[in-house]
Amino acid sequence: MDIHRYEKIWIGISLLFVLGLIATVTYGAVGAGVKTIGNQGGTVNPNDLQNTPFGNPGVRKVGPNHYAVYVVARQFYYQPGTGKPITVPAGSDVTFYVTSADVIHGFEVVDTNINSMAIPGEVSKFTVHFDKPAKYGIICNEYCGVGHGSMQGRLNVVPQSQFNLTEANQ
Amino acid sequence: MSTKQTYRDEFPETARAIRYLLAAAFVSVGVAGLFGMLQALFRTDYLRFFSNSDYYTILTAHGVMMAYFFTIFSLVAIFAWAVTRSLDRPFPNPKFTMGWVWLMIFGAVLTLITIFGKWIPGLPLKADVLYTFYAPMKASPTFYLGLALFVVGSWLAGYDYFRTWWSWKQDNPDERIPLQTFMALTTMLMWYLSSLGVAIEVLVLLLPWSIGIVKDVNPLLTRSLFWYTGHAIVYFWLLPAYLLWYTVLPKLSGGRLFSDPLARVVFVLFLLLSTPVGFHHQYLDPGISQGFKFVTMTTTMFIVLPSLVTAFTVVASMEHGARQRGGKGYLSWLRALPWEKPEFSAMALAGLMFAAGGFSGMINAGMNIDYRVHNTIWIPGHFHLTVGTAVGLTLMGASYWLIPQLTGKRLRLTKLAMVQPYLWFVGMTFMSNAMHRAGLTGDPRRTADPTYQDVSFHGIVGSMGEMRMQIALGGVLLFVSLLLFLAVITRTWLGERDGDIRVNGVIPPALSGPEDGPRVLDNLWLWMGIAILLVIIVYAIPFAGLIGQSGLFGSSPGVVPGWILSFG
Amino acid sequence: MSTEDVAEVQPGSVESPAETAGLDDGIEREIDHDEFDPIGTVILIGMYMLILIIMWTLMYFVEFLGHGPSIIG
Repeated sequence: MDIHRYEKIWIGISLLFVLGLIATVTYGAVGAGVKTIGNQGGTVNPNDLQNTPFGNPGVRKVGPNHYAVYVVARQFYYQPGTGKPITVPAGSDVTFYVTSADVIHGFEVVDTNINSMAIPGEVSKFTVHFDKPAKYGIICNEYCGVGHGSMQGRLNVVPQSQFNLTEANQ
Repeated sequence: MSTKQTYRDEFPETARAIRYLLAAAFVSVGVAGLFGMLQALFRTDYLRFFSNSDYYTILTAHGVMMAYFFTIFSLVAIFAWAVTRSLDRPFPNPKFTMGWVWLMIFGAVLTLITIFGKWIPGLPLKADVLYTFYAPMKASPTFYLGLALFVVGSWLAGYDYFRTWWSWKQDNPDERIPLQTFMALTTMLMWYLSSLGVAIEVLVLLLPWSIGIVKDVNPLLTRSLFWYTGHAIVYFWLLPAYLLWYTVLPKLSGGRLFSDPLARVVFVLFLLLSTPVGFHHQYLDPGISQGFKFVTMTTTMFIVLPSLVTAFTVVASMEHGARQRGGKGYLSWLRALPWEKPEFSAMALAGLMFAAGGFSGMINAGMNIDYRVHNTIWIPGHFHLTVGTAVGLTLMGASYWLIPQLTGKRLRLTKLAMVQPYLWFVGMTFMSNAMHRAGLTGDPRRTADPTYQDVSFHGIVGSMGEMRMQIALGGVLLFVSLLLFLAVITRTWLGERDGDIRVNGVIPPALSGPEDGPRVLDNLWLWMGIAILLVIIVYAIPFAGLIGQSGLFGSSPGVVPGWILSFG
Repeated sequence: MSTEDVAEVQPGSVESPAETAGLDDGIEREIDHDEFDPIGTVILIGMYMLILIIMWTLMYFVEFLGHGPSIIG
């Protein structure tokens, strides 16, 4: 096939560039340790959340420095999150379990790389390490009905010394 | 008096079908464009005269009319022109052709009536589900039915292309497929393969569920079936624009296509890669493993390659034209291009904007960097550059060149036409750059009023207020540009047929013709076979898993249509 | 012989100059396949690739990786 020399060089450069994109993203996953949400959360019956851990949403301690947060997204609020913020201590690993009780929602912690879908029937399971105390906002970024634009919550990372598990769940 | 026949003279019945399709396309873009401006002004709080609920109806209509109707009506028309022109024969059965044209129009009208049904007293139809219609949000059955009929119409269009080619092949057994027909056929093969997802989703699952025959659907399964089609559909929109950039833009530039064989290679690559990439719209979905997401990340990155090749070939063809027109130097040849001709400037500016849009697409394809941008307003920023401009503005430019040939009437209001592409480019620059920056602050897409009590967004470059202003300004400029386009087209269409259309429809041969490429490129069945194989390799196990996990019909909760819970 | 893409009309050769005025796509001279090296394209597309690499690096390593907390499992 007759390809001009310049274009052959360009195709070679483009191929290297594409491989570079793939390499960068792979580095992000295995080097920098940013994991993609997978299917480890399993499934759940959205019509019967009462009889699952989501029947009692909130923060639990599951290890020395490891907490689990069960979040239910609904039209148009998060349980917990809306009204009462999700509270976790700084310096800990937090595993989120997020699902929806009705339609597809989003779970975006603004100004972070924490962003997940909340799909009825599925559990989104992901772990984050919170280094420093901070206050974050949570918004729903998937259209879920007329009240979508006011669906919001808060996530507070408090200093270890100020963290009280019971208070976090009241 | 010109003795040259126009396309209308040569193929009157096919021209008629194309005119109907383009008329439907222009009505769609006009109404949807108005809605787009209203959305931009509402979201940024510059002008609100309807409710949040109405915003979502308008957004649904905008998405459906732009992403489905404007694009697909236009592209089946462009392909109809390209196939008949390059094969030099009309579609064999005008009644059949008008049949699928009317089917598409009927389907579109049915869907639109359903969307607007919310505003029609006494009509119990609604579809505030956006153009992605994710279950368990439910629309009235006619919404899904209309879309299904529209898609079936597009399948029948492909049948017209194929059978016209087959009959040409009987008469020309040893010939290479003419390039424009090759492009139309490979695109349609890709569409047949990729539209299966949404066809199954709608016909087997959503429509029966909406009617009430089926009690539940599996939300993740339906969503995955949607995105099986949903990424490939952007290439269904894009490849007709590529056809115009490869086969018409060189001629408009005063030159010839740099390489026919590479153009074929590019289209084959799109046939192979367009479909097995869909999970990159679902990187943040639970229920789909990281492994499958990684696979589609690599296939998606590879699909960048044919676009990078296209950039070189098309720009080289333009450079050829500029130099034939007397351009000299390393970069000053750019000035020798016919920037005063709107058919040229629209396509050239569209291509330039696509270069930017391609970059934001690469970001979206990055499995982990997607966390920063997923479902933020960065995403609309991206696709207004790509489908909005690369495709939309190219179609407008092509219309300036084609409408005279299809109607036999010369272009009117040419001064307005001359300005229109530049206005579009400026408007889109404002709107899209602001959308990208706002997305990086976390500002969400698909939201009527993205202001929150508990949450604020912080811009790094520029403030939220300034970004809002640019979105609003851009939206208005784009609508004005659209009005200019529609004014030109309407005045032209209603003008007199006085014999001289002042368009030279002749396309010179490529610098490197089809004979410079191997015959295997024309082996459509080979490429289709590989495309099907790739889809099976990438999708079979994940879909089996999705069905195994929660069943074909899942257990979605009782549907609560959003509009019932009014937040006023 | 392909029926497609045949240049039927050389500017001015079949029709009168008045008829083709403005319709000849402004061609002053013809450049054929072997005479044409798209050096301008190389420069433009080289600039584009440079922009892509810089923007990707900035976006990935600063905007993304520099913007934790991130999902690590």
